[in-house]
Amino acid sequence: MKIRGTVAAALASAGILLAGWQTGTQAGGISTVASSTTAAGTTGSTGTGSSGPGTSGSSGTAGTSGAAGPSSSSGTSGSSGSSGSSNSSAAGTYKGNTVQTRFGPVQVQITVANGKITDVTALQLTNTDGKSIQISNRAAPLLRSKVLAAQSANVQTVSGATITSDAYLTSLQAAIDAANL
Amino acid sequence: MLRTDLLTVIAWASVAAAIALWLADGGATDITSPASLFTAAGVVAGLAGMDLVLLMLLLAARIPFIDRTIGHDRALEFHGKLGKPSLYLLLAHGALLAIGYGMAEGLDPVSESINLWTQVPDMWLAFVSMALFIAVVVTSLVAVRRRFPYEFWYVVHLLTYAAVATSIPHQFSVGGLFAAGTWQRWYWLAICIYTGTALVYFRILEPVLASARHQLTVAGVEPVAPGVVNIVMRGRKLDQLAGTGGRFFIWRFLSPGMWWHPHPFSLSAEPVYNGPDGQGTLRVTVRNLGNGSAQLLRLRKGTKVALEGPYGLLSTAARTRNKVVMIGAGIGITPLRALLETTPFAPGEATVLLRGHTDQELYLSSEILDLCQARGVRLFHLTGQRSRTTSTWLPEDAVRSGYSLTSYVPDIADADVYVCGPAVWAVNVIADAGKAGVPEEQIHHERFDW
Repeated sequence: MKIRGTVAAALASAGILLAGWQTGTQAGGISTVASSTTAAGTTGSTGTGSSGPGTSGSSGTAGTSGAAGPSSSSGTSGSSGSSGSSNSSAAGTYKGNTVQTRFGPVQVQITVANGKITDVTALQLTNTDGKSIQISNRAAPLLRSKVLAAQSANVQTVSGATITSDAYLTSLQAAIDAANL
Repeated sequence: MLRTDLLTVIAWASVAAAIALWLADGGATDITSPASLFTAAGVVAGLAGMDLVLLMLLLAARIPFIDRTIGHDRALEFHGKLGKPSLYLLLAHGALLAIGYGMAEGLDPVSESINLWTQVPDMWLAFVSMALFIAVVVTSLVAVRRRFPYEFWYVVHLLTYAAVATSIPHQFSVGGLFAAGTWQRWYWLAICIYTGTALVYFRILEPVLASARHQLTVAGVEPVAPGVVNIVMRGRKLDQLAGTGGRFFIWRFLSPGMWWHPHPFSLSAEPVYNGPDGQGTLRVTVRNLGNGSAQLLRLRKGTKVALEGPYGLLSTAARTRNKVVMIGAGIGITPLRALLETTPFAPGEATVLLRGHTDQELYLSSEILDLCQARGVRLFHLTGQRSRTTSTWLPEDAVRSGYSLTSYVPDIADADVYVCGPAVWAVNVIADAGKAGVPEEQIHHERFDW
């Protein structure tokens, strides 16, 4: 009867595993919705610093020039080649655009000083349910520290939080572009 | 034996269910890279490891269903056997996840672990838990355990509760499998709460209630043989313990320096009660083995006693046949003495075999002789040195004469066989019984070498 018990246990276990597998693959079939970026109407580009090599740098002043959109005045007196003082990015905070994912919107804000990203704050994170909140909570600090180290959005995603990471880094790239780093 | 099969199925199914939780969450479909493969293996190891830990706790929780089915000491034997596998799974859980997460983020496992420790909530507790689990399992290894007194091992073993408690937060807050709103969270919560409740109820509440109910005090300590005493206890409502003769209780003698030391002793006689409210006496027979039992010889009259139990399979409830054979050695004879008192059989249907080096070691043998005469039982005293050449449960001269179990009990294949004595000896008896054709479910064995 030892054999009977073992066989029964093996069958029961196999059945449970199979049921789990079935459920999992079905759910997986639905979960192919990719994170879509909707830039329209978002609050991005709050402080779009002016770019272009020739412009008089407004570095140092917090609160950036109100000019939306890059104003490239290439014809002006080029100060390129002079000491790198004309770091075009202004200190301050820059918001990335909001990226919609199926787990909710993601938006990050960076703080810039001396041409470096000194902080990354997540203004919105995937939050449709407890699970995505939890994933966000785990992924956000890891992404933040990686971004601060790399000083770019060119970092690897956090495993198990791919969608959140992708959206985070997309929004971050927008913020970096806005800051003109 | 259907119940044994049921327990086997439940145990295996619970491990499968733990992994199925992850599969149902789409775990397997997320494996797309070497990093996610490591992560997946780490998650599965953690789920299976925690499930084994819960099974271990349930095996040690003294749940009556488990106790009646496989007995207390086999339950603890399985508990011990699961110790190392569950530790390996938990170690693999930590290592594989550090590697998997690290690979995905371009970090080495050590930096990843530091990241997890410092940046992810509840993870530092999980690291503490891992250290505690290692401490508990290492001190339970036979080689290590022998070097320290029982008390040290016991206290370290209590750390298991801390280890499990500190591991729980990260299970629910990291990883997302058991996040709020998932059905997996409810299942996991349910098995954790069930295990915790069973432990609190059967290991704390029940014993406290039983101790309060029976109000036991030491009535006297009587010498039986050199180094062996009867401890007689007086109490009330002992009618509720009728039929527990032969089963064992965990006793705590509530005097300074002794109260925390649990002693597993069997009743060596049926409870005697004839006063109002079931007032009467209980008796255990104890051999002085270690410093713990040495103190018992000097127990003072009136010492209060707390009890847990009854536990174990040495009871009439285990009977499946009309005929019965009882085989005891040394101090293991004493619970059979109690069982002999009440277990039903007709004259001529029972046989008792007592084994000891000398007649003096056949404890309570005069009481047993009286019972055998009164109830019509065949009784054999098997005394003498054990054989040096072969491993056997019989004395050397019996072996030389070519005797085996069937020489004493020819019809043993159709009897319930109760075996009680030191572990190695009992293994030999059980092997001999198997050769004589006794089916496994008719053998009722309790390890008894404390």
